[in-house]
Amino acid sequence: MEATNGQSKAGDWQNFERVLLPPIRDLHRLDVYEKEYDGYQAIQKVLREWEPGEVIDEVKQANIRGRGGAAFNAGLKWSFMPPKDDRPRYLACNADESEPGTYKDRQIMEYNPHLMFEGILIANYAMQLDACYVYVRGEYVDWIDHMQRELDKIYEKGYVGENIFGSDFSTEIILHKGAGAYICGEETSLMDSLEGKRGYPRIKPPFPAQKGLWGNPTTINNVETLSHVTLVMRHGADWFSDIGAPTHPGSTIYGISGHVNRPGCYEYPTGMLISDLIEKVCGGMRDGKKLKAVIPGGSSVPPLRADMIDGVTMDADSLREAGSMLGTAGMLVLNEDTDMVTWLRRVNHFYQHESCGQCTPCREGTGWLEAIVTRIDEGEGNLRDLDLLIDLCDQMEGRTICAFADAAAWPVRYTIERFREDFEAKCKPAVFDTGGVAMTA
Amino acid sequence: MPTITIDGQTIEVSGDKPLLQECLNQGVELPHFCYHPAMSAPANCRQCMVEVGTPLRDRETGEIKTDANGDPEIQWLPKLQTSCTVQVSDGMVVKTHRTSEKAKRGQRDTMEFLLINHPLDCPICDQAGKCPLQIQSYKYGSEGSRFEFRKVHKPKRVKLGPRVMLDAERCINCTRCTRFTDEVSGSCQLTINQRGVKNYPITGPGETFDDAYSMNTIDICPVGALTSTESRFKARAWEMSRTPSITTINAKGSNCYYMVRDNLIMEVVPRQNIEVNEYWLPDEERVGWAYERFNDERPEHGPEIRVDDELTPVSWDRATDAASNALSSVSSDAVFFLGSAHATVEDNYLLSRIAEHVGAEAPKYIPHVEPGHGDDWLRTDDRTPNAQGCERLGIHPVDAEVLRSRVRSGEIKVLYVLEDDPVASGLFTAEELEDVVVVMHYYNTTNKTLAATDVALPAAMVVETIGTYVNEEGRAQRVRPAKVIKEVNRTLMMATGKSRTDMHGTPFDRWHNESHQVDCLPGWEILPKVAAHLGLEFEFSGPKAIMLEVTEQNPAFHGATYEAMGLQGHRLEDVGETV
Repeated sequence: MEATNGQSKAGDWQNFERVLLPPIRDLHRLDVYEKEYDGYQAIQKVLREWEPGEVIDEVKQANIRGRGGAAFNAGLKWSFMPPKDDRPRYLACNADESEPGTYKDRQIMEYNPHLMFEGILIANYAMQLDACYVYVRGEYVDWIDHMQRELDKIYEKGYVGENIFGSDFSTEIILHKGAGAYICGEETSLMDSLEGKRGYPRIKPPFPAQKGLWGNPTTINNVETLSHVTLVMRHGADWFSDIGAPTHPGSTIYGISGHVNRPGCYEYPTGMLISDLIEKVCGGMRDGKKLKAVIPGGSSVPPLRADMIDGVTMDADSLREAGSMLGTAGMLVLNEDTDMVTWLRRVNHFYQHESCGQCTPCREGTGWLEAIVTRIDEGEGNLRDLDLLIDLCDQMEGRTICAFADAAAWPVRYTIERFREDFEAKCKPAVFDTGGVAMTA
Repeated sequence: MPTITIDGQTIEVSGDKPLLQECLNQGVELPHFCYHPAMSAPANCRQCMVEVGTPLRDRETGEIKTDANGDPEIQWLPKLQTSCTVQVSDGMVVKTHRTSEKAKRGQRDTMEFLLINHPLDCPICDQAGKCPLQIQSYKYGSEGSRFEFRKVHKPKRVKLGPRVMLDAERCINCTRCTRFTDEVSGSCQLTINQRGVKNYPITGPGETFDDAYSMNTIDICPVGALTSTESRFKARAWEMSRTPSITTINAKGSNCYYMVRDNLIMEVVPRQNIEVNEYWLPDEERVGWAYERFNDERPEHGPEIRVDDELTPVSWDRATDAASNALSSVSSDAVFFLGSAHATVEDNYLLSRIAEHVGAEAPKYIPHVEPGHGDDWLRTDDRTPNAQGCERLGIHPVDAEVLRSRVRSGEIKVLYVLEDDPVASGLFTAEELEDVVVVMHYYNTTNKTLAATDVALPAAMVVETIGTYVNEEGRAQRVRPAKVIKEVNRTLMMATGKSRTDMHGTPFDRWHNESHQVDCLPGWEILPKVAAHLGLEFEFSGPKAIMLEVTEQNPAFHGATYEAMGLQGHRLEDVGETV
C-alpha cells in the first residue's frame, strides 16, 4: 500500500507536555487537582460566562472526535439533543472499556478522575442535563471505589448536586457498575443495561438523542472524550485543534501492547506515525524480532501487515486510507513469530463468547467462524474453508442491529486477506482425498 | 394513504403499520419469525430482509427528482432492511426476494444460520407440519448445510411451568415468548438466559411460569421449543382436523379451533378474532379437564330411563316418549322448565316454545357466576357461555329459594332440565328430587343430578352440535361440529369439515370407526321429538332455520343469521341491562 503522506502529524511530539495524564503526583486527589492543575476552574468559568449553546459550539469547533472508537465530532453529537422540554435528559459516560487491547480510560479514571467529572459537569451544563450515569466496566472494581471516594468529595463541596458552585444549575453524577459484558459498551445496550434490563442493542432509529435512557433524550460519550471537554473549555477550541492531526486533533492515549520492549499507555498528540510509536516510544520490537502485524485500534479493527504501515499515522483518516481504523487507539503489535491463525482463533473465541445472541447472523455466525478457524489452527482445515469464512463474513456484515457482527467479521476477513500464507500453511493440501485408493487415469 | 411499490406493483397501504405487516396484508408473503402483530418488533431474527428505496428529493426545493423517463429517482438504502422495522412512507419502493437477488440471498443466509444449531429433529417434533421454521426453510432456505461441527447443546426438557415445556435446543431466540409475558400478559415471567449461541428463554431462579395465559407462548413459538406438557407427543399436526368454533368455559366466547383426531379433541388453540380474543386464549380453556370433558366423561349408553330405581338404556323414541308423557301427566303449573346458559340459543328457544305450549311459566336458568374469577381480559366471572343469550330470549336467572320451597312443598312434580347440574349447583339435594320426575339433557357422566334423574337424554356438546352462543359483550357466535356423534344426522354431517384429515369417516366410508362416537343428539333434535308427542309440531329444517325465526321474532337477536355470524360472529345491538 502506498504511504499516505509519510509525515508524522504529531509535530514536536518528543516535547509534548501531557494534558490528560500530566506528571503531577496524587492528581487523583481533589485538593491536588484543584491546587496544582487549576481544577474545576473551567466549569466555574463556563457557569459564570457561557451560555449552554455557546459551549456546544465551542466543543463542536474544537472537533473533539469521539475517543470511544467511532471518531464522531462530540460537539456535533451534542447538538443533536432536542430542545429542553419537561422530560428529564441524561448523559451516559461510557467507561465500559472492553475492547480487547484497550486500557486507556482506566488511566484517566485512576490518575485524573476529576478531569472526567469536570468534563461531565460541563457537558451536563451545555446540554442542560439532569444527570450523568458513568457506566463503568464491572471488572474495574477498585477504580469504581476509588472514583466513588472522589465523587463523594465533590458532592460534599457542592460541585455537583443541587445548584452547583452556587449557580442555579443542578445536576447529578451517578457511578454505575456493569456486570462485565462486552456488548454493554455498545451505546444502546449500555442504556438497556443501565435501565436494569438485559444488555441488548436497540434498533436505531430512534437515536439516543430522541429516545435514550428510559425513553428520554440521552447523549453517550467516552471517558476520554469528556476529559478533553474540560481541556477545551480551559484552553479554548483553537488550542485544542492545533494539537496533532488537523482533521483529528488533540492528544490521545495510545495503549500499546504486544511484542514491543516497553508496552503501556502513552499520551501523545494524534497523528503519530505507527513506526514512531513502535520504534521511538515503545523502544522497538522485543528481542529484535521483525514486525509482522499491527492492529491499530482494538481487536475488531482490520489488522495491518508490516509493509502496510509505512507513513501511516494514528488518526482516523490516515488509517482509513491504509485499510484499517483508529478505533480506540489500543494498538496491538505482533512480531514475526506470531501465527495469525492462532491469533484469529483467540479473537474469534472472544467474539463468540461475547455475542449477546439477539440477532441470528451474529449469534450463530460468531460460533461458526470460531469453529472453522479452530479446525484450521489444529491442522484439520481445508483450503475451501477459507472461502467459507469469507462467505460467512459476507453473511454477517451489515445484517445485524449493532456493529458487533461487523467487529467480529472484519478480523476474519482481513486476516485471511492479508495473511493468507499463514492459513494456507496450516490447511490440508488441496488434493482429492481418495481414501487411500490409487487413482488411475 | 401512502402508496408504495412492492416488486413493481404499486399499492395503497394504511401507513400506520410496519412494512412487513403491510406486505402480509397485501398477500405478499415475507418470511419472518420474531415479528408478531400484537407485540413490538425486536428485529432479531433478521429473516424478513428486503431492499428498500425512497424517492430522491431535491435538497432545496424538496421536490422529487425524476430521471430521463420522468420516473422518480430512487435512492436505495445500502444495507438490506428488516421489513418489520421499516416505517412505510409515500413513494417507497421495495424489492422482496421475488425480484431482488440480494434480498433472496439475505434471507437464505439467515435461514442457514438459523438451522446450524437447530437440532432438525422434525420427525419427533410436535411442531412439525405447522412449523414456521420448517415451512420457511423449505421455501426460502438452501438445500443441505455447510456446517460440519458439533451443534451447541442446551437443556432439552425444562418444565418452565405446569403447562409449558421447553426444549432449548430447538429455540431460535426470537423472544416472542418473553415479549408475550412482558407486553401482552404482563406477568414478565420469562427472560432470556445466557449469552450468544447458548441463550434460551427461562424463568427467574425459583420462579414458575404459571401465567394464566402461559400456553399462548406455545402457539406463538415459531419452532417446537415450547410445547404443552399435556398434549406433547400425542398427535401430529397433519393427523388432526381443525374446526373453527368458540370456547365455552366462560362468557367471553374466545374464538378457537378444536383439533380432532380419531374423533377425540386433542387440543384447543386460539383462533384470531380481533374483536374478541385477538390472538389469545387463556390456559383455563385448554388445560386437560377443559377438553377431556369432550372425550372421556361422555355418556356411554345413550338415552336412559329409570326402571326399578336403575337408569336403563332405551331407544331414543322411548326416551322422548317418556319425557313427553311426564310433561303431559301433570297440570301445567306442576311443571318447571330449567333452561341453560350452557346450551345454545336454539335449544333454549325451543324449550321456551314447549313451556309456552304446555302452559307452564317461562323457563329460568341457573347462573354460574364466580366473583373474582374474571380478569377484565379473556376470563370472566361468569363461567357459562350463553347467559346473555338466555336473557335475550327472556330466560332469566332462577330464584333458588322460591324454586326449592316449591319442590319441597310438592308443588312441582316435573322438572325439565336443559344441560345443567342443579344438584351440584346447590339448588337441591338428590333426595329432595326423589318425588319429582326429572327429565334432563346432559353432557357429562359427572353430572350429579343424574342420581335423581328419571329420563336422562345425552345431548350433543359444543364440539358436536351446531348452534349460537351470545358472549357477555352481546356478540352472537356460531359453533360447528368438530366431533361426530353416533347418530347419522344430515345437518351435522353437512356442517362437518369436508376432507377431514382425522379419518373418523361417516358410516358410508370404508374407514368408518365408531369408537369415540357418543350416542347423543343435539338439543334441536331431542326437543322437537318431545314436542311432537305433546302436539307441538316444529317444522324447522335445522338449527339455521330456528335461528332465522329467532332473529325475525326477537329484536334482541336482530340480524344474527348464520350467514351474518360467519366465522367472526355478529355484534348484537345492546338491549339495556339484561344480566
